[in-house]
Amino acid sequence: MEKSITIHINNKPYTVDSGQTIMQAADKLGFHIPRLCYHPKLSIEGACRVCIVEVEGMKNYVASCSFPVNDGMKIHTNTTELRRARRDIVELILDNHPLDCHTCDRNGTCELQRLSYSMGIKARHFEGERKHYDEDLSSRAVVRNPNKCILCGRCVRICSEVQNVHNLSQAHRGFRTVVMPAYNMPFSESVCTACGQCINVCPTAAFVEKSYTQELFEQLNDPNLIKVVQFAPSVRAAIGEAFGLEPGHNMEGQLVAALRKLGFDYVFDTQFSADLTIMEEASEFLERIQNKGVLPMITSCSSAWMKCMEQFYPDLIDNVSTCKSPMSMNGAMIKSYFTEKIQVDPKKILSVAVMCCTAKKYEADRPELMFDDLRGVDIVVTTREAAWMIKSAGIDFLKIQPEKVDAPLGLSSGAGAIFGATGGVMEAAIRTAYELYTGETLVDIELGGIRGLKGIKEASLEMDGREIRVAVAHGLGNACNLLDLVRKDPGRYHFIEIMGCPGGCVGGGGQPYAGANSIPLDEEALQKRAKALYDLDRGKTIRRSHENPDIQKLYREFLQRPLSPTSHKYLHTHYQAKLPRGIIPDKAIF
Amino acid sequence: MRAKSILTLCDGPTCIHKNSRVIREALEAEICKHGLSEEVGIHLSGCLGMCSKGPILIINPGYTIYGGITVEDIPEIVQEHLVHRQPVARLVVQEDHLYNRFFRIFGDVDFFGRQMRIALRNCGIIDPESIDDYLSVRGYEALAKVLTGMSPREVIAEVKKAGLRGRGGAGFPTGLKWDITARETSDEKYVICNADEGDPGAFMDRSAIEGDPHTVLEGITIGGYAIGAVKGIVYIRAEYPLAIKRLEKAIAAARENGLLGNNILGSNFSFDIEIRLGAGAFVCGEETALIHSIEGRRGMPTPRPPYPSVKGLFGKPTLINNVETWANIPVIILDGGEWFSTVGTETSKGTKVFALAGKVHNTGLIEVPMGTTLREIIYDIGGGIPDGKKFKAVQTGGPSGGCLPEDYLDTQIDYESLAAAGSIMGSGGMIVIDEDSCMVNLAKFFLEFTQDESCGKCTPCRGGTKRMLEILTRITEGNGKEGDIEKLERLGNMIRKASLCGLGQSAPNPVLSTLKNFRHEYEEHIYQKKCRAGICSNLVTYEITEKCIGCGACRRVCPVNAIAGKRQEQHVINQETCIKCGQCFTTCKFDAIVKA
Amino acid sequence: MVTPLDIIKKKRAEAVARIIGRGYLSTKRVYVGMATCEIAAGSKEVMEVFRQAISNGGLTDVYLSQKGCAGRCNLEPTVEIVEEGNIPVKYGKVNPERARQIIEHHLKNNEVIEEWLI
Repeated sequence: MEKSITIHINNKPYTVDSGQTIMQAADKLGFHIPRLCYHPKLSIEGACRVCIVEVEGMKNYVASCSFPVNDGMKIHTNTTELRRARRDIVELILDNHPLDCHTCDRNGTCELQRLSYSMGIKARHFEGERKHYDEDLSSRAVVRNPNKCILCGRCVRICSEVQNVHNLSQAHRGFRTVVMPAYNMPFSESVCTACGQCINVCPTAAFVEKSYTQELFEQLNDPNLIKVVQFAPSVRAAIGEAFGLEPGHNMEGQLVAALRKLGFDYVFDTQFSADLTIMEEASEFLERIQNKGVLPMITSCSSAWMKCMEQFYPDLIDNVSTCKSPMSMNGAMIKSYFTEKIQVDPKKILSVAVMCCTAKKYEADRPELMFDDLRGVDIVVTTREAAWMIKSAGIDFLKIQPEKVDAPLGLSSGAGAIFGATGGVMEAAIRTAYELYTGETLVDIELGGIRGLKGIKEASLEMDGREIRVAVAHGLGNACNLLDLVRKDPGRYHFIEIMGCPGGCVGGGGQPYAGANSIPLDEEALQKRAKALYDLDRGKTIRRSHENPDIQKLYREFLQRPLSPTSHKYLHTHYQAKLPRGIIPDKAIF
Repeated sequence: MRAKSILTLCDGPTCIHKNSRVIREALEAEICKHGLSEEVGIHLSGCLGMCSKGPILIINPGYTIYGGITVEDIPEIVQEHLVHRQPVARLVVQEDHLYNRFFRIFGDVDFFGRQMRIALRNCGIIDPESIDDYLSVRGYEALAKVLTGMSPREVIAEVKKAGLRGRGGAGFPTGLKWDITARETSDEKYVICNADEGDPGAFMDRSAIEGDPHTVLEGITIGGYAIGAVKGIVYIRAEYPLAIKRLEKAIAAARENGLLGNNILGSNFSFDIEIRLGAGAFVCGEETALIHSIEGRRGMPTPRPPYPSVKGLFGKPTLINNVETWANIPVIILDGGEWFSTVGTETSKGTKVFALAGKVHNTGLIEVPMGTTLREIIYDIGGGIPDGKKFKAVQTGGPSGGCLPEDYLDTQIDYESLAAAGSIMGSGGMIVIDEDSCMVNLAKFFLEFTQDESCGKCTPCRGGTKRMLEILTRITEGNGKEGDIEKLERLGNMIRKASLCGLGQSAPNPVLSTLKNFRHEYEEHIYQKKCRAGICSNLVTYEITEKCIGCGACRRVCPVNAIAGKRQEQHVINQETCIKCGQCFTTCKFDAIVKA
Repeated sequence: MVTPLDIIKKKRAEAVARIIGRGYLSTKRVYVGMATCEIAAGSKEVMEVFRQAISNGGLTDVYLSQKGCAGRCNLEPTVEIVEEGNIPVKYGKVNPERARQIIEHHLKNNEVIEEWLI
């Protein structure tokens, strides 16, 4: 239906395709119309009115994000009157925003800051009353600060449209409008899954992660502690962006070196425990297959997904793997196997995890994951926080000499690396499960069908003549769609991977903010981060978890075999249905 | 005082062409000749829609319609009808248009006689809770006519021919809206009746539904047939319990009678209507916000396009019209689009309902042909300003309309004329303002409302109206500054052009229109610290004149002891202490205290 | 074939018959305004006075009905008395006391109370 039409922008004719908005057409022609509430992954809000343009013959300005181009349309993007209106609009936003850029978490990464600079606001005309709300510090993971909110509605939209959690909504009217969870409940009691996507898309600091950097700096200076750190696969694929690099650089070596310079005594790799997770999870899957256990089995690595499952899919608890996440497995091994090895009281260990994820902060606190009265991980910091700490400590991250991770919890296979991308856990699990089940080595180990950013991916393979159907979903919205299918047709799949964030961990809520020329959750950036991990996998000689010699050693020396009683004690757990306040229970489930 | 007889002469273009103006002169002369001037009143009306039989003269009481009269007939009419009270049978026209019944009962007084009731034709006539009453006044005959022999395209053509435009405010051509929705292909379509009347002081929709719910249902059902929908929804605010009750009763009765439900009146058309209650947010009268509200989401507008006629309720093509628009439909079907289009002006056809309020003798609900002037409404129907006060302005279109001063009194009521004058038709609020009102304070009042009811979604409306209100507040409190007027204009124009929905786009209207027409009052407030109406208390000083007899009444009521004076001597107000509460002013029996 | 128009005409005839059955052809028809605004102004009480006058037998040959709002806000509650062949009479600002007077004078004795007319 699309056809070529002619439009005029600022008095010059251009030929464009019909069926697109003014903004889309202008973007392609190199006119970057200023914008704020617009995000290509989300529905059109039309709220900020920053992207207004003048169209000849129209009485009012039109929002270029929503208005379609027509043949012969004459558009002006930069008239004096329009510039002033746009500037006044941004001024109105600033008039109800704290003037504290220099002490703000988003200083330098704030979209409003950039926008107001580009508007050329030199004087302020309309200052008056400002809003005052308390910060919501109740959650372990996400801080909500309505004072900084400019009501663009991106958080509301991502939480409902992409994540299907519907925790956030605008409340009250007019000047008193504020974004909040239902009944203004504290975040800790709301249905928030702590995925942190609101932080990712927020143009200002209305949503930020709960920061533990100061606490961590203090503890790193405590001589009585043995400081141990692990970092997630996708941290290395993204942290370079915080230092100005393009997405897709694997900064593993620099990160290890920087962490040591920060004061950590041991630097381990969550990729190692990803391998460990595969050993346990693949075995669990095979056991379910062989002993007619509950199928489909669903992965349990993503902490946001686990909270989502407990709240909205408690009927599927028995389908969820009992494996802890790789972070918690590593934490458990640090405070048992490793402390035995170095003969130290586990209580003297400071176990830190650098994660691409905000929900891991929540996970680290879960009582279900404790063993011997211990928490496997004491402090979780995000990629962003880690990058800030490195900068704050004056470490020249880009010029630093790369270093290697420590044994015995560091060495990883390629399977562990790809955990960070959607479909990676499934791919890694199949590599091992196939061999454990058939006794043969899977030759073609790259499963193209479950890679990439398609919302729900399906594949099937044969193991000894038996068809195994698998599915992968990333982003909780896609997950919900997939699980609704499973509820209707439980026999449809055998094994399902779910990641809470779009793109998997590479798109986690703790990853670096988008740069000045990029947008949050840009698909190209996500793909580049994922590619860095797939390249890492391809560059390794060992690409199957069960071939990791340190994993084999760990089983020999400590765990005996997958699913052993020791494994169960340290590496497995059980979840329980949660009924957060304000949720009307579904009678069929509760 | 009531005139004993009222003559209404059609002053529509056709009748003028047929010599009605000459007839009027002859009538006046003849009446004068018989010495009847005191007890006979002559009115002119806009087109009465009986052009083929013009010139038309209606005599009340009795609602006798004379048609095709000539100057030669005048002596006979005056002699026989007015003197002997015997109608001149040969000139009487038999009319059976639907709207006529109302005037048989009500048409003999100024207030009603100058109106023309199409949408409200049955309000005040029939028992709204009885479907029998509605059936007896040709109720549901339009629906039956449509189902018997009209295709959906023909129905739409008839509505187009009528020239009906949306009565919710924007005035979009109704037939075109139907046409666009009908052309969409979809497995499901919806029809919505917008009864979310939110303007303060407006009660057109409530009265229409309370007085004649079946008309609205019939209109909606015809709309459903025309666009191919099977489901209609009336979105009505929960604050209207009686209207809701009557609507529920009407829907039940219609279902019982096979007028809603499967196979209506034995045809193969099936349609049903349900009621959805709104919580009373002003913005939910905006169609996209209304749709969100029905869907169970927060009532906030979304950008258009896509329009609801393409992508509306639950993403399906949806036809939304307001109550008054729907109430016109059965008349258009039965009396014909062509007839309907004879009423009104070139661009605006038919009638418009207004809620007349404020400083006017006869407040109430009126329905007048488009083209009636503001002066006719305020002075002839409304009876003018009470207490001998001077007219200052009329505000049309609800809280987001504009205030028009005396110069605009001869503006005709139609969409374009009102817009050109700087106001809007809106849904039909009309507030008359006399000299006792302060225009700055009035603008502030309306802005307070829209600011409060802003949904908070878009920046200009949320932030801009707040800042405008702050500036207005400081002006009325005597703290206005140089440059405030310019700031109001700058913000107002930006909000008007940049807001997301109609609510925001029209929110600055009261301020911009008063700035245009009453700028001197703003300037007085800011530069001379003076409020000529004496409304803005910070800008008023009370003084005691020599009329004071020293009774001491003011001294005793003053809550801050600001008044001093000996018995039987002129008292004095200490301006430092005075809090300008005005108690002394109202207490003084001798008009000795003045506001300055 | 029976068309919808035939059906509606039959329905109308039946409706008219039912209305007549309820006494529509009485000498006088009394309409009391019963919209929200009129009820707020006190029309429920007025209606009750007429209702009781009919049920207590004091008033005969009268057809009583409610109606919607005619638009005279400042004169509510309103009551219309329609008598075929005569000019309809409209009373404004009717309260229970006035209603009783209207029953006594107008309905029973055909004396229109001029000062309360609209």
